[in-house]
Amino acid sequence: MTRRSQKIVLVFVAVLFMAVASAGSASAGAILADLENALMCKCDDKCGKVLENCTCSTADKTRKKFSKMLESGLTVEQIIKQQVEEHGETILSAPTKKGFNLTAWIIPFGAILIGGLGLRRLLGVWVKKKLPDDGMAEVSDADSSKPTDTTGSSKYSNRLQDELNRLET
Amino acid sequence: MNDIGEFTLMVALATSLYGAVAYVMSARGNRIDLYLSADKIPLITWACVMISSIALWKALFANDFSLQYVYAYSNIELDYFYKFSSFWGGQKGSLLFWTLLLSTYTLVVHFQNRKKSLIVVPYAMAIMLGITVFFLVLLNFSTNPFERIPLPPEDGRGLNPMLQNYWMVIHPPTLYLGYVGFTVPFAFAMAGLITKNLDDGWIRLTRKWTIVSWFFLCMGNLFGASWAYVELGWGGYWAWDPVENAAFMPLIVSTAYLHSVMIQEKKDMMKVWNMSLVLLTFVMTIFGTFITRSGLIQSVHTFDEATLGYYFLGFLFFIIAVCSVMIVWRLPLLKSKNELDSFLSREASFLFNNLLLLGIGFATFWGTIFPIISEAVRGVKITVGPPFYNQVNVPIGLALLALIGIGPVIAWRRATWSNLKKNFQKPVAVALFGGAALYPVLPLSNRSEIYTYIAFILCIFVMSTILLEFFKGTIARRDSHEATTVAALGSLIWHNKRRYGGYIVHIGVVMIYAGIAASQSYGTHIEKRVKTGDTIEINDYMLRYEKLAAVQATSVKTRIIAQLAVEKDGRRIWTARPEKEFYKGQKQPVSEVDVRSTLASDLYVILADFSEDDSATIKVYYNPMVSWLWMGGWVIALGTIVCAWPDRLEQRRRLERLKRQEIVFSPAQE
Repeated sequence: MTRRSQKIVLVFVAVLFMAVASAGSASAGAILADLENALMCKCDDKCGKVLENCTCSTADKTRKKFSKMLESGLTVEQIIKQQVEEHGETILSAPTKKGFNLTAWIIPFGAILIGGLGLRRLLGVWVKKKLPDDGMAEVSDADSSKPTDTTGSSKYSNRLQDELNRLET
Repeated sequence: MNDIGEFTLMVALATSLYGAVAYVMSARGNRIDLYLSADKIPLITWACVMISSIALWKALFANDFSLQYVYAYSNIELDYFYKFSSFWGGQKGSLLFWTLLLSTYTLVVHFQNRKKSLIVVPYAMAIMLGITVFFLVLLNFSTNPFERIPLPPEDGRGLNPMLQNYWMVIHPPTLYLGYVGFTVPFAFAMAGLITKNLDDGWIRLTRKWTIVSWFFLCMGNLFGASWAYVELGWGGYWAWDPVENAAFMPLIVSTAYLHSVMIQEKKDMMKVWNMSLVLLTFVMTIFGTFITRSGLIQSVHTFDEATLGYYFLGFLFFIIAVCSVMIVWRLPLLKSKNELDSFLSREASFLFNNLLLLGIGFATFWGTIFPIISEAVRGVKITVGPPFYNQVNVPIGLALLALIGIGPVIAWRRATWSNLKKNFQKPVAVALFGGAALYPVLPLSNRSEIYTYIAFILCIFVMSTILLEFFKGTIARRDSHEATTVAALGSLIWHNKRRYGGYIVHIGVVMIYAGIAASQSYGTHIEKRVKTGDTIEINDYMLRYEKLAAVQATSVKTRIIAQLAVEKDGRRIWTARPEKEFYKGQKQPVSEVDVRSTLASDLYVILADFSEDDSATIKVYYNPMVSWLWMGGWVIALGTIVCAWPDRLEQRRRLERLKRQEIVFSPAQE
């Protein structure tokens, strides 16, 4: 892949992520659903469902209570805060994005990023290892800025590769 | 019969222990006498475990409440169908069921390989029997399913109403077939490490086992989702519960293995990586069992008597330690000539596919154990629920979807720009066109809807690349063989089963992606208190509440059934009958939803509540494209059958390879 195309792909991905990140969470009508999704049901110790998904009678009562609280002018954040004070952090359906809990969110992406960088480096080493044996200069499209060898062996290798590609497809 | 069942469990333990030791000693000392003595062990062990299982089934069917297990998970009124499935409804029975499957697999592996004079076989048998020993120790000394009650009660407590669903008969066995199946590749991989047979021989020996186990694990997950959908009554099918995660993680790791193993087969690369993945898959199956049976992590799925945590934790650490030591010990032999022609190659795309799959697997693992970490570090217990997994796994999943389209079309060794352009121009154009066509139709007001829009574009892209592959191959074969298009398509698949079977699996995966994306973003629901004649409107449907009826189904079960006429465009198209079932001795009633499923959407009706004046609270979900998930599952099944179908050419190649291989274990020649 050329540097130019790499940049294009990167810009495309960045725009995509920005579009997703900048999107609002939910419409005004879905505020209650947001609240129900942010909190766990407390009906039973083993229920393990977010309030939105729970079907028990306690969940119904809680939903009605939240509905009234929203109507009284309380915001989602205020209700959540009140619930955390009452039941502890275990009421939240996901870890908060601050303090130690931030590691819950960062580590999976960090692991992929580190893995990706490591993989890229490893692939680079493997590609370089192959280079001297082949006697070809033009092997990697990532490095197509290098001068292309048009000697006989390269021509034959390219032809062989083309035929292999044709066979593949 | 109970005494016989208990006795045969003991015999099974003794024979499997003997078999494990005898196989190892026969291989190490090349001793024909020990090898021959161990030859019948898999059959004897299987027969003993089978007799124990029959004894437990008999006790369940005969309402023998002198057994604590029968008392806890059955009763006189329980349907025979569910008496059969009660066998794996509780911890003790499910462990016996696991052991039964494991001993059956061991027996099949034994018959498959007994005449192959390969050194890995006795070691693999020893490992499988060793694992059987672990389960039999638990069954004999910790969770005996034949434990007696001194004064037998007249009736049992009965099976949890949630488990009284036909999926109970299908889902756990399917999942267990997948879980237990991965013992086979694990055993052969370990045997390869022990005997230094680290070429791709063990991979080829266990290829079908891996595919079949993967298939069962995949279907087990889907069946579980389907069960949750119809039984739990919340309109969804996946809640990222720790036990669901436990079944999902080995599936993800084994999917990564199924892809990366192709690189080893093609290019003899990545031996360490593949070995690690197959071992990790097995470790994940044990980790899943640990979660279900430890009670350490709260889940609706954990067994009532989750008391085996320490045993499984010990077993888990033992396996991890042995695997790590073996890999490090054999590292010099596992080193392969890792060379790559280009970044732009199928090999590289498979490696990135592995990265993303393991990324999802790791994120799921991390989310599952984070409550424990948080409690250990901060002393504060927290919950990691669906919002976490959705936010973390969805973007990674979308990148993976893109790779599903790119990977199979990109050339092995090296792809050139012209080659890429040729292969991707049309699919990208179709995807962009599809995206443009969907833009005015689909709402894009929140993050979830934007993700779904991206998912649809990628689904179109992947489907285009796959269909184009089928099209090009069919046309080429039709022209070269002068056959009809249908015959050419059939012949194309028949002569390239692995490749086109894999493509069919990918089509199924794309369907599942589309189903998840649509149902997660565009679903709507409404809840309304109604009296007879009242209506509920949702999307294009109008539901008219007609009546409420009570039916005494059995002496322990009462059904309250609501009836609603469902109309579309003024025409009655369906009658919905959601229910609430009340079981004697159970605090909470069970909701039995009614679902009208079409290709476009599901109408999912729940009777949430009712009063004596016949009024009821009805909850209605409009879930788009949920049926695509289940259809995707069947497409995956079809693709797996194609992949795993016996291939004469491959068999011939394998036989030739075996002939060429040095016979390293030949006790019969002593």
